[in-house]
Amino acid sequence: MSALRSTISSGIIRSTSPTHSLLPAASSFKPIRNPCLPQTHKLFTSSSNTFSAPKRGFTCKSQAIPSDNSAPEKVQELHVYELNERDRGSPAYLRLSQKSVNSLGDLVPFSNKIYRGDLEKRIGITSGICILIEHKPELKGDRYEAIFSFYFGDYGHIAVQGPYLTYQDSYLAIKGGSGIFEGVSGQVKLHQIVFPFKIFYTFYLKGIGELPEELLCKPVDPHPAVEAVPAAKACEPHATIANFTN
Amino acid sequence: MNERDRSSPAVLKLSQKPVNSLGDLVPFTNKLYSGDLQKRVGITAGLCVLIQHVPEKKGDRYEAIYSFYFGDYGHLSVQGPYLTYEDSYLAVTGGSGIFEGAYGQVKLHQIVFPMKLYYTFYLKGIGDLPAELLGKPVPPSPAVEPSAAAKATEPHGSIPNFTN
Repeated sequence: MSALRSTISSGIIRSTSPTHSLLPAASSFKPIRNPCLPQTHKLFTSSSNTFSAPKRGFTCKSQAIPSDNSAPEKVQELHVYELNERDRGSPAYLRLSQKSVNSLGDLVPFSNKIYRGDLEKRIGITSGICILIEHKPELKGDRYEAIFSFYFGDYGHIAVQGPYLTYQDSYLAIKGGSGIFEGVSGQVKLHQIVFPFKIFYTFYLKGIGELPEELLCKPVDPHPAVEAVPAAKACEPHATIANFTN
Repeated sequence: MNERDRSSPAVLKLSQKPVNSLGDLVPFTNKLYSGDLQKRVGITAGLCVLIQHVPEKKGDRYEAIYSFYFGDYGHLSVQGPYLTYEDSYLAVTGGSGIFEGAYGQVKLHQIVFPMKLYYTFYLKGIGDLPAELLGKPVPPSPAVEPSAAAKATEPHGSIPNFTN
């Protein structure tokens, strides 16, 4: 994250007395479900590199497989843009390694805005931490281990973990979610457009009900000049989802 | 329950700003009791990443990444929002032991910030939970305390090899 670098002293300050306050017990969580038209299924297939001699195919025949259990698990695609509009104090580059080059020890908490893939609706935010793993001078970039969540307002959130490589696309694991994303599994493709300000994500989600229509769209193709439409950027009511996370 | 005897939390003001700001990190570990407050089960352990101060709510948003340890039974890992001013749901991201393969969500209800929290787990993908984890829960209130035997970790007040 080269945009903001802060040198951090090695002093650690402990807070003194924690504040106590009684908090309201009521939960403000309200899941929203929209019935929507069935979406075309897109199954993710990875292109694999095959090496050396062809291998014998491995087949497993079980006589116990019921006849109605042959369909592959349904995968739903979701497209999201993460844009750093530089108004959230993010990222916070903690140079704890105290070295001049990005090094193991550096930590980068961050939080950016997310928009629907067609850039017409503000959805919420990302929030989490990137752990610098190593600098890759030959690739002019860095490897991070990223642990963060995507917040979708009243719909809930998706928690992810995996590699963030500043020099190429990567896939992160979907660890779980809440709300409509409760019980979700799968992976998400991270495609960086402009480091580190614009990232395009394609989620491949399994194990949840039909996604609400409001989250599905024909995405804008990633390119360096992508911006949210002015109404979404201004969070006008018709250009946001309900209680978009901020 | 934070009984102030585990040096937790460790508030790392790495943002170097006077207000809670992105950059502050809060590793923590507290004690965990069964919902009926009769048995000490273990601990929580993990990290809260301060995301933003929310002045209009007089509180903060954190991204919380941590585990709940249940002694010989195993552990549950979670990730999600910790809002000091309201309840939230975190994702259950996995587990070990009897919780191997677990998924679902957990509701975080803060009773007294940041000392007493009440969790309701909604777990899928695992076998039936053992009876000693399923006692009738004590309704959350500011004065809740574990039973004396649980607090003292007497054998009948704790699960086998409760995590410490």
